[in-house]
Amino acid sequence: MSSRFGYVKNDTILHRLNPALKLFMLISLMIGIIIYPSWRLSIVLLLIVFIGFRVAKVPVRLTKGRTKFVILFSVLLLLFQVLITTNGVLLGFLIPQIGDFGPLFPITDFGIVRGLAIASRFLLLIFSSMFFVSITDPTLLAHSLTKLRIPYRYSFSLVIALRFLPLFDLENHTVRMAQKSRGITPEVAGLRKIIRTVQYTFFPLLVSALSRVDSLSMSMDGRGFGYSSDRSYLRNSSWRTTDSLVAVFTLCFLVVCILLALGHLPGLAQYI
Amino acid sequence: MLEARNISFAYNGTAPVLESLSLQVNRGEIIVITGPTGSGKSTLAKCLSGFIPRSIQGDFSGSVHIDDVNIADLHIADVARKVALVQQDPESQICTLQVSDEVAFGPENYGIKIEQISDLVESSLKSVDSDHLYHRATFELSGGEKQRLIIASMIACRPDFLILDEPSSSLDPRGVLQLQHILKDLQEQNIGILVIEHNLSAVKNIADRILNLVQGKIQSFTVPDRISQTKNIIRTPDVSNSPLVTIKNLNFSYGERKVIDNVTLGLQRSEIIGLMGSNGSGKTTLIGLLGGLLAPDSGTINFKDRPLRKLNTKETAHHISTVFQNPNHQIFEKTVWNEQVLTLKVLELDTTDMLQQCQTSLERAGLAGLHDRNPFSLSHGQKRRLNVSSIAVHGPEILLLDEPFIGQDVEGREFIKENVMETVERGGTALIVTHDPSFVRNNCSRVIFIENGAILLDGTPSSVFERLEKLGYQEYTDMGVQP
Repeated sequence: MSSRFGYVKNDTILHRLNPALKLFMLISLMIGIIIYPSWRLSIVLLLIVFIGFRVAKVPVRLTKGRTKFVILFSVLLLLFQVLITTNGVLLGFLIPQIGDFGPLFPITDFGIVRGLAIASRFLLLIFSSMFFVSITDPTLLAHSLTKLRIPYRYSFSLVIALRFLPLFDLENHTVRMAQKSRGITPEVAGLRKIIRTVQYTFFPLLVSALSRVDSLSMSMDGRGFGYSSDRSYLRNSSWRTTDSLVAVFTLCFLVVCILLALGHLPGLAQYI
Repeated sequence: MLEARNISFAYNGTAPVLESLSLQVNRGEIIVITGPTGSGKSTLAKCLSGFIPRSIQGDFSGSVHIDDVNIADLHIADVARKVALVQQDPESQICTLQVSDEVAFGPENYGIKIEQISDLVESSLKSVDSDHLYHRATFELSGGEKQRLIIASMIACRPDFLILDEPSSSLDPRGVLQLQHILKDLQEQNIGILVIEHNLSAVKNIADRILNLVQGKIQSFTVPDRISQTKNIIRTPDVSNSPLVTIKNLNFSYGERKVIDNVTLGLQRSEIIGLMGSNGSGKTTLIGLLGGLLAPDSGTINFKDRPLRKLNTKETAHHISTVFQNPNHQIFEKTVWNEQVLTLKVLELDTTDMLQQCQTSLERAGLAGLHDRNPFSLSHGQKRRLNVSSIAVHGPEILLLDEPFIGQDVEGREFIKENVMETVERGGTALIVTHDPSFVRNNCSRVIFIENGAILLDGTPSSVFERLEKLGYQEYTDMGVQP
């Protein structure tokens, strides 16, 4: 495969941040753009995420096909919102009046703003999650969550998910190759064909995933997983001064988003 | 001593897999258990390691004892500290992203102090000659390295007994030799070892006892020095016409890693070609490229003088059939019959004659009477035979098989060989990825040995094996898979 989706080991300031804090930042970012759905804020955050990729020396791992999908889906989201939103200042029509026909599909400034907000939110969701996965060591994440008194059985489910992410990515690729070898091409023209395409992709993937779950649970039980409510850790996460500063900054971001959403910061809202 | 006393087991509502089976494994002893597909070997491993009846439901009777203590009275984690099970697929058993984390996982669960864990991780990795992997990411490891990692992570819990289910299945001959050394070392540490293995030649040298599990019962088994395999009449390749497939200057990379390096070769009609090489040498990728499933970075592949990339998906599937390593990846339908006729339907070749051929093919595959079964519920060997049967029934000209004999018993191997012979008799070509030199000697007219994505040797089996021995690859010429 041209890319492997998952954690990229490195020693940068972003890698060294406490994993639980990184999770908190990701959640805060999501909450922030949900309660204050401004496209300008989303674009600024998206830029910060891309700068983060550079600072962390982590490549944006998207294959050509996926890049195409992400861009196409964002454009579709934008167009859909533009088409269904009729309120706002009328800027024109997608189909102008031709004789007695039309005009159809009004385009308004509010429709564009809403479309941009949703499309940029989608992009932010994709890239910030990818960034989090790329810079967070799952084992240290499990330890940091355990320190927050989250039972290790739950925190390890995150570790397992992150561990198997690249594997399922690889299996998806293999199943598509297997479909091709049988002359099967993904078809979407008609409900029956869509169901068939979904069946031919998800059946083998699901079975493979379930058989792996069986093996993995035996492998974990066979090494004493769940033996006690507590366990030791060879590698431990740490909390540094930088983490405290970043935590404060993240909290401030959340507070600002709430204030913006409540309309208490009209001056700032003009720009963001 | 690890002891099974009269154990019987049947999965819910099915015929018994094990019947009144008794077995003793002593510390410091290596026992190998072999037997046909579906004879209950893996089930026995799960009974001995306590997962049956705890995690896997069914009708269980009898008892398993460790030093006369019935394991039914112990918690599964306490059993696991005594008896460790290394399952067949190492990839599915790794639960972390770093080698040291994986080995530490067991001791961490038992709440062992960090200083001790650190020692255990180092000594366990050293036991499997893998201390150099300490800081490596688990997903970067080769199949053999993953296998050694899982063994290390199991012995880090300091078990008294180690059970390994088909440990050589993902290893190349060099990896198998390394596995033999590791098991001998563990034996010297007084660990009792039970190896479940189809590939007897991989472990027979180190076994104290070899047992055969047939229809749920244990029998003693003596392996002849070399099990003879039927030598087929090797057809002479048809070189009168232009090659069926011509490959020129083929290159392929995954990201920055070059996997196929400037490969040029031709596949003649009526050839059976053994494709050999170490793990990660590029065999599977070459199969993917030849099957039109991957697009090369550069170079050309022509099928009968026509660029392969110009053939559409259905045309490619009509002429070239590929069998993948994992049978689950290639099953798409809900019943065995629908799976068998899938390619015919997709290629619109489902005539009455062809459907009759499907029926015959299923009978030969030992799958008659299973028409309405969900193919995913079949055994590994049955799934593999269904894969071969369903992709070969329309008579493709090229058959590409990626390690088809893994986990196959004698009947399974014969069925696959019959399909290969039929393809060749029709004037087609079969390319088979294998580590089995006896299969290659007895059935192939040509061997291609690749290393680091490039062709190292290409010729008749005798000439290639002779050169391999001179080049220091002798384990590839004398370590075969035997039924």
